[in-house]
Amino acid sequence: MDNRPSRHLPVRIRSSRCEPPGQRRLPKREIGGARVRIGLLTEGGYPYLSGEAGLWCDRLVRGLEQHEFDLYALSRSEREEAEGWVPLPPQVGRVRTAPLWETVDDGIVHGRRARRRFAECYGELATALCTAGPGGASGGPEGEPAGQSALEADRFASALYGLAELARDEGGLPTALRSETAVRALERACRAPGAHRAAREARVPDLLTVTARLERALRPLSLDWYEDDDLGSVDLCHATSGGTAALPGLLARHFCDVPLLVTEYGVRLRTHYLTEPDSSPAIRSLLAAFHGRLATETYRRAAVITPGNTHARRWQERCGADRAKLRTVHPGMDAAPFAEAGESPDCADPQTLVWVGRVEPAKDLVSLLHAFAEIRRAEPGARLRIVGAPTGPEGAAYLGHCKALAAQLFPDEADGPHAVGRNPVSFEETGGPELPSRADAYASGALVVLSSVVEGFPAGLVEAMFCGRATVSTDVGAVVEAIGGTGLVVPPRNPRALAEACVALLRDPERRNRLGAAARARALELFTVEQNIAAFHSIYLEILSRTPARRVVLDDTGEPLPFGVPAEAHVPGRWSDPTARVAARGGPGTARSGPGWATEAEPVRATTSVAASEGAAR
Amino acid sequence: MGVAVGEARDGRQTPAPSAARRSAADPVKGLLHRHRELCERAVDPLEIAAGLEAHGVTDRTAARFRHRDVFSLAEEMYARAPRDRDTHAPASPEEPPAPRPGGPRTAGIVLALLPGVLCAAAVAGLRLTDGRPRLIAAAVGILAVTLALGAALRRGPLSAATRTTSTWTCWLVGYALLGDGLLRTAVGGGPDGLPNGTTDGPWPVSLAPVLALALSFVPAAGCAHLFAAGARRKLTSSRGLADFSASVRPLLLGTFALYTGALAGLLALTGAVLGEPAALAQGLSLGALLLLARLLTVHGHAHAPTLVLAAAATAEAVALATLFAGRLPGCGFLAAPVEALVTACGPAGVPTVACGIGALTLLVHACRRLTRASAHASTGRTR
Repeated sequence: MDNRPSRHLPVRIRSSRCEPPGQRRLPKREIGGARVRIGLLTEGGYPYLSGEAGLWCDRLVRGLEQHEFDLYALSRSEREEAEGWVPLPPQVGRVRTAPLWETVDDGIVHGRRARRRFAECYGELATALCTAGPGGASGGPEGEPAGQSALEADRFASALYGLAELARDEGGLPTALRSETAVRALERACRAPGAHRAAREARVPDLLTVTARLERALRPLSLDWYEDDDLGSVDLCHATSGGTAALPGLLARHFCDVPLLVTEYGVRLRTHYLTEPDSSPAIRSLLAAFHGRLATETYRRAAVITPGNTHARRWQERCGADRAKLRTVHPGMDAAPFAEAGESPDCADPQTLVWVGRVEPAKDLVSLLHAFAEIRRAEPGARLRIVGAPTGPEGAAYLGHCKALAAQLFPDEADGPHAVGRNPVSFEETGGPELPSRADAYASGALVVLSSVVEGFPAGLVEAMFCGRATVSTDVGAVVEAIGGTGLVVPPRNPRALAEACVALLRDPERRNRLGAAARARALELFTVEQNIAAFHSIYLEILSRTPARRVVLDDTGEPLPFGVPAEAHVPGRWSDPTARVAARGGPGTARSGPGWATEAEPVRATTSVAASEGAAR
Repeated sequence: MGVAVGEARDGRQTPAPSAARRSAADPVKGLLHRHRELCERAVDPLEIAAGLEAHGVTDRTAARFRHRDVFSLAEEMYARAPRDRDTHAPASPEEPPAPRPGGPRTAGIVLALLPGVLCAAAVAGLRLTDGRPRLIAAAVGILAVTLALGAALRRGPLSAATRTTSTWTCWLVGYALLGDGLLRTAVGGGPDGLPNGTTDGPWPVSLAPVLALALSFVPAAGCAHLFAAGARRKLTSSRGLADFSASVRPLLLGTFALYTGALAGLLALTGAVLGEPAALAQGLSLGALLLLARLLTVHGHAHAPTLVLAAAATAEAVALATLFAGRLPGCGFLAAPVEALVTACGPAGVPTVACGIGALTLLVHACRRLTRASAHASTGRTR
């Protein structure tokens, strides 16, 4: 029997730390959630200049200046790291980063006992990945029996936490994850009876690729972030995307019992399916199983999940997210540039249609041009302004094609015999003297048209709504969700329907104005930065209100505050009337007396967290 | 608002009859045909769902196919897609050769040739000059060869991802240059002066093995390239890990034998050209040791080579040290084993034994480590 105390290694993976001088504040909490310390987890995102979701995170951090943010960032590439950070506001307390791109080697070679432990855990993980049945990552509602899928999810979770504990106790996990032991365990799991068909066909290069990818994805397990003075000291973890970014949050929840909030604007699993078209079936199947299981585990452990739109929400539900935890928080957009256009709806030319966006084949401008030909038949004075730059060589070719088509369909027209002719369709780009910004582009038309066949969240449409313009759009992506009832929606690839809707609105200025005003009101209510920040603020407080105290409370001099946590907090189970709110002083202790539905929802959690709080208090 | 929703619905229902007309009995069939490739290669229904959504299929489109949402539509398509069991064979195309850091091929060959050429020039300089110019030639030659070696090792098939120390390698090569002469003169009571770059001075220098080693950088790089390329080919062609190990072992031994043969030829050649005795035994054992150590390091096992190189270098140093320590009064017994070895096999015995044992150890180690698939995984970095 091994009674030795576990060896904690001070630093396992190089992780930089930055604390602005003199700005380290003692965590100080007041009832009512005056200040919350939030661990913001990002992957290839926020503090880096080239980060994807940078703008959104920046607005969030700057918007909630009464709170304190600790950034835990995983960087995706060397280039990204070299480009540096965005300027950080003072409420960012510390920044810790770790690279996901580097081959890490901490030089620790496992002993026999650790090797056996690793082989067991990794074998379990591999088995959980290989036995994912068809559709299996999800364990959909009508798929395999619920018990079976829960069992698989548990197996994955225990393997994951087993590996994390191994990394915490012994270190050396990156080396082990690349070792022959791992490859062998994966091969055994793939060849075992009951393995998925695609996994059974895995060849040696596939096994190596999957091992390497898993090593990269599991790198957060080796980080030294899960100590009491790091992620253990934050009040809640906010993962800004699913997948690898949520992994530190999962481990913080496992080791330190920090509640986890997951925000997903695009579902990681879906991205994985779309970005892996060329790999072999075995690689795709195993990695999809990994991402699916990780998503399921994340959704299971998260306190609250905030999808960015209904589409993400559907995927999350499909991956096993509990509906009670889902709160849709729409992405916030800056309404200020569009305010002027939105408040003066009359400056528009009543005969002009505007299309704004990036020119690419998915936008289906050809269909728009055909629709416009029909519109011209009904309304000869109509004009169409296509505003946007092409993206990439494909977009440029498409733009050329569209210009040729427009020249073919609509010959130049002149007002009289001595004037220069003009084409009713104009292709323009913003930034020139005529159209300084997109807001001007929207403002110049009476009607904004969207003809895409594929669309995610239609940011351009929301901008048009901010401008108070009536819109006609195709029914793709999250268009209906964004537009609600404040614009016309037609099926995609249907120029006639598009034309009919446009003509109907062109002929009815009153209805156009009504729809535009409704659209502006809707956008201001749902899609502003302010609502986004307010939503997250209230979600933070909601999560905190359901989280028990976990730490020794310190007074102003840094000494432990006696009776900071009431004794009742250590009693497992429900100790007071669920509806009663105990107005005890001492801050976090009151959290246990939160609303009854919270304690009812997670009776098990309360006891485990008390155990953890005792552990921390010792 | 209600009006608008009504209109939206009107707009949506226009195409429904036409779609129904096209494939009234089985609406999914047409969709299945259109997304045939997606359905055939999908590993689970969610992949089809993601692909369909990327093509603009929404829940409202799915309703036209009498499904609740895209997911259930994708499940039907996944279940109905013809999935040929044999499609996976062509679906796994020949892996593109892993991009090696380094420019065009010729640059690599020139770099690999550089140490040998520079070493030959240095040897010629030593032979053709005398006095102070010879000293300068020696210094310049050593510097140039070291730099060229460093440059050649930084790219090409012998470049290692991890940082390695070259101290032990330098010591071993230095011993090949000076050690034998020192040992021989030390047994006879010398040396009586510093090396002057000739084989008949007070401290004879053996240039032939060093020149051969420098020239053998080209076959070494070629062998490493052959081994890596062969192992990659075996990776794609083997069914399992055990299969791979079994097929790579002969490849490793063959590569090793090829290099040994090439080195033996070079040793004989340089010996004949320079008029020195061909130091076959010590040259071969040292070359084999260095090649195996480098191969192991290149494939990510840097620990054992460092240990073995250090051990071999230490053994040689200890042999010299005991010989000199034996001259102290009362310590003659210290020199006895080395003197016995030198009388038995000549001064070449010491490096041959030290490097030979090291090379054998590394060969056994390499047969276990380099035949594993994980040693041939590409370690790519994201830029």
